[in-house]
Amino acid sequence: MRVKTAGRALSVRMPILTGVVFVAPALILFAVFILYPLITALSYSFFSWKGTLRGEFIGLENYVTIFTKKPFDEDLPNAFAHNLLLFAGAMVFQNSIGLMLAVVLHKIGKLKRLFQTMFTMPYLISPLVVGYLWSLLLSPLFGPVNAILKQIGLEEFALPWLGDPTTAIWAIVFITAWQWIGFPMLLYGAALGGIPDEVTEAAEIDGAWGIKKFRTITLPLLLPALGTVSILTFIGAMEAFAIPYAVGGSDGTPAGATDVMALLFYRTAFESGDVGSIGTSSALATVLFLFIFGVAVALRFLLARGEKRLYG
Amino acid sequence: MKKLNKNMWAWLTHDEHQQPKAITKGDKLRKRLSALGAIGVAALVLTGCAPSSPEPAETSTQAQSSATADPVDPVTLTIWSWRTEDVEKYNTIFDVYEAANPGVTVEFEAFLNTEYNQILATGLEGSDGPDLAMVRAYGGVQALIEAGQLLPVDGLVDTSAVEQSLLAAATGKADGKLYGVPFATQVLQVFYNKGIFDELGLTEPTTWDEFVAVNDALNASDYTPMALGAKDAWMLPIFHEIVGAARFGGPEFRAELLAGTKDFTDADYVASIGLVNDMTKYMVDDVIGIDYASSQVQFISGTAAQFPGGSFELGNFQTQAPDMDLGVYLVPPPPGAVSSKPLAAGWADGSFAINSQSENQEAALNLLNWLASPEFGQLFVNEIKQFSAIKGMDYSDPVMKEIGELFAAGPSQYINLVDMRYGTPTGSTLIGEGIQSMFLGEKSAADVAQYLQEGVSEWFTPGS
Repeated sequence: MRVKTAGRALSVRMPILTGVVFVAPALILFAVFILYPLITALSYSFFSWKGTLRGEFIGLENYVTIFTKKPFDEDLPNAFAHNLLLFAGAMVFQNSIGLMLAVVLHKIGKLKRLFQTMFTMPYLISPLVVGYLWSLLLSPLFGPVNAILKQIGLEEFALPWLGDPTTAIWAIVFITAWQWIGFPMLLYGAALGGIPDEVTEAAEIDGAWGIKKFRTITLPLLLPALGTVSILTFIGAMEAFAIPYAVGGSDGTPAGATDVMALLFYRTAFESGDVGSIGTSSALATVLFLFIFGVAVALRFLLARGEKRLYG
Repeated sequence: MKKLNKNMWAWLTHDEHQQPKAITKGDKLRKRLSALGAIGVAALVLTGCAPSSPEPAETSTQAQSSATADPVDPVTLTIWSWRTEDVEKYNTIFDVYEAANPGVTVEFEAFLNTEYNQILATGLEGSDGPDLAMVRAYGGVQALIEAGQLLPVDGLVDTSAVEQSLLAAATGKADGKLYGVPFATQVLQVFYNKGIFDELGLTEPTTWDEFVAVNDALNASDYTPMALGAKDAWMLPIFHEIVGAARFGGPEFRAELLAGTKDFTDADYVASIGLVNDMTKYMVDDVIGIDYASSQVQFISGTAAQFPGGSFELGNFQTQAPDMDLGVYLVPPPPGAVSSKPLAAGWADGSFAINSQSENQEAALNLLNWLASPEFGQLFVNEIKQFSAIKGMDYSDPVMKEIGELFAAGPSQYINLVDMRYGTPTGSTLIGEGIQSMFLGEKSAADVAQYLQEGVSEWFTPGS
């Protein structure tokens, strides 16, 4: 009863205004730096533009342009497909290897810190530097990668990695994974550390060992971390800019083989001679944002349902 | 595959200063490093500043009588620029103007090249913009013109000393008015290493047969005949102009293209793209994997004998390889060429223009007139060491002098930059991507031409 009274008294002494005061700083920052820009970019996409001078309201015309007119009708699906490929590639290689490393490091214990630091080191380098570094390493002229391949008799694999459309996008998948591998590894490592020993011991007593234990005990308990990593990977892949830019330039060379949505936006906003580029680039930015936001929310919803089913 | 210098990797990493530093638009490396900054600015531009309709000041009447009048009251003129590396040199140049025009102070402010467009667009919108500004050329200046942010200067500035073909760089596409005075030009040609030519007993080719013979001889030697960064698409239309301008006819073709009597699918233009493909046998294998910076290293390190490129390479080559004896020539007309003489494609690199909201337009117009004069042109050549847009300048550097003479003897225009950057997709992007596809065996020369024509047709209407 006293507790109840105390609870009521607390809610009385904590009026809405106080709550607002506490939330206000974050809310203002969010509104000024995130919400306002988002809404402004959205509004810009509904107008015609002459340089920085806003013209008349044209409804969805900019959206029609980016879906039907050259170069967007070809560049947009091409770039979008590459973003999806970057996501798939990161899920298959970066995150699975990251999980494997996390499990191995979780077991070895002693040198865990050393290896964790080593694997997360590239994470600290600017992606532009990483991209440039790898474009030097993979250079057909003086890149050590091809030189080594030739030395050890694998001459047929000494390809122009970044110049051939079939290998260039995979090179970007690899370079991205090389830089970010430490990220899933750390998150999975933390989640593994959070699995109570009692659970694993109980599973072992029940006869679950090795792969079986991993599949039936560890993996389901890692589901929240898997979800977080997947969503962040999705956002990262859809927004990829720095590494593709450093490797293939703003055109996504060769012949658009490394083009991604952010590069298309960059070209449209800054490199086209089109005086209406603010409108079309705002439309592109809006479409990209809505897609990322929609999918991220949907994924989060699906994961929440999965977790609920698992944990009750 | 040409023999490669085994020490090249070591050489490249030995001294970071040896890494090719590009100079102007070709500055891919610096662009890459500044990309995040540009994206940040993108966010600001797209979001931060609500646009306001500028109200161009009534200028024509007040400025009409001012072109020759010296201002009596002290006035400070601000000029914005993207040439951060040239601030001191421009200050020296404007000291000369200040001495001759008492009461006028010129303040030259430079901003990071990659962020300049956004900074200038924002500055011109508000009241704290500059009086004059360096503006980009051709398609790059149209957004400012269309937004009414620049002052039309037809009849207010004497441009008789300026190379007339370059005035298009500062002309409004929609209204045909002049909005500035071009200050720098670039010219395309083949750079070659005279030391290698002498060693192999080769001379500058003057006919197509000699050109082929020189490249065959180089191919038979340990040297790579030509360095080309085919991985960077922007380099390929430059290469196409250098090799193909005489074949498709340069200025004559341009006139017909703009009039609508010919388009890019013209047989001569297709043949000129075909020449680009024929040249790949004079490059390293997998040239599609070589980036621009690596191609510069090939030439500077002496493994490649020739570098087809723009005059903006000159300073870099002379700094990186001070001992190299550098020569330049134009590719001679091939069989079937429309032009009987070799052509040097050129373009203006930027212009000086006046802010339509400047409160000192009278003084600004006086200064702009001076910027269109031979006196400024020569100071520009001497201090900045680039090609001036003013005619008849005296170049002390022998290579610059020769490039100037080549351009004067066979002037042409880099069509895909000069005329095909007024909309999306730009001509240079299309032909760059197209040639890459051709190198990869996915497109023929005719396909590339068709791709270019279809792309620019989205916004380009001949005769307009």
